[in-house]
Amino acid sequence: MTPFRELDPLLHSQLRLAIMSVLISVDSAGFSYLREKTEATAGNLSVQIGKLKDAGYISVSKSFGESYPQTMCSITELGRKKFAEYVAALGDYLTMGD
Amino acid sequence: MENEEKVMSGEESLRVITEMINKTRVSITQSSFHLLFWGWLIFACSFSEFLLWKLTDWTNAWYVWLFVIPGVFVSLIYGFVKGKREKVFTYGTSIYVWTWMAFLVSSVILFIVFPVETDSVSKYMLLIAAMPLFISGVVLRFRPLIWGAGAFWILALVAHFGGETVSGLAMPVAMIVGYLIPGYLLRKRASHDTFQGA
Repeated sequence: MTPFRELDPLLHSQLRLAIMSVLISVDSAGFSYLREKTEATAGNLSVQIGKLKDAGYISVSKSFGESYPQTMCSITELGRKKFAEYVAALGDYLTMGD
Repeated sequence: MENEEKVMSGEESLRVITEMINKTRVSITQSSFHLLFWGWLIFACSFSEFLLWKLTDWTNAWYVWLFVIPGVFVSLIYGFVKGKREKVFTYGTSIYVWTWMAFLVSSVILFIVFPVETDSVSKYMLLIAAMPLFISGVVLRFRPLIWGAGAFWILALVAHFGGETVSGLAMPVAMIVGYLIPGYLLRKRASHDTFQGA
């Protein structure tokens, strides 16, 4: 048995996978929206967003909404490709398990 | 979701992906405002024009349509301000917004640029307005909008074949059926979704 050898370790983490799953479905999402959907703490979410950004999987932009800064995240082409590969590898793994 | 480095099984990974994608839904917070705003504005303009045409000798009843011009600015400013506050932009939201923007461009060309006779504008307006309404219904998965679009198509035919009086009433009736009733239903659904914490 070769558990998760082909699965991208950056995506094979509950919170990072949740972030990517939200971003794959939308154009862009704000930090508060991601926090609401993933139910993660602000600090934890911030760290994981940083890791995904450093890897080039997502892009992060900051703007001023009303009077407060707003962080918006969106998935990059690389992130989309890696997510597709992860899902395909996951499909292989689940098929193997049948 | 605190343990970000927790080792997941394949089934758990699949569950996370499915759960997150299901939580991401098309935002409908703005939709009801525009439907109700334009529903009431166009209803007021079209019905006033009809009454002025029927009950007075004034030949420039079409002047009431000038109220549409400030309406465009109100709608654009509201959309811009609310858009700045949005926490997420889904593909559905983009399709919704840009379909209505395309409709706005077509309407401006039809109303202002093309020399169409006043009494024949409503059937063309109903025809082109049915498209964004239909697409919005599909994107928002909201059937009253799709039925409203169907009513627009039928009323466009009625306006064409029904004679002057019937044609004059087609637009106000269309606003009630296609914008106002779905708009209030959509607002009810949006407030219900907010209450549910969706």
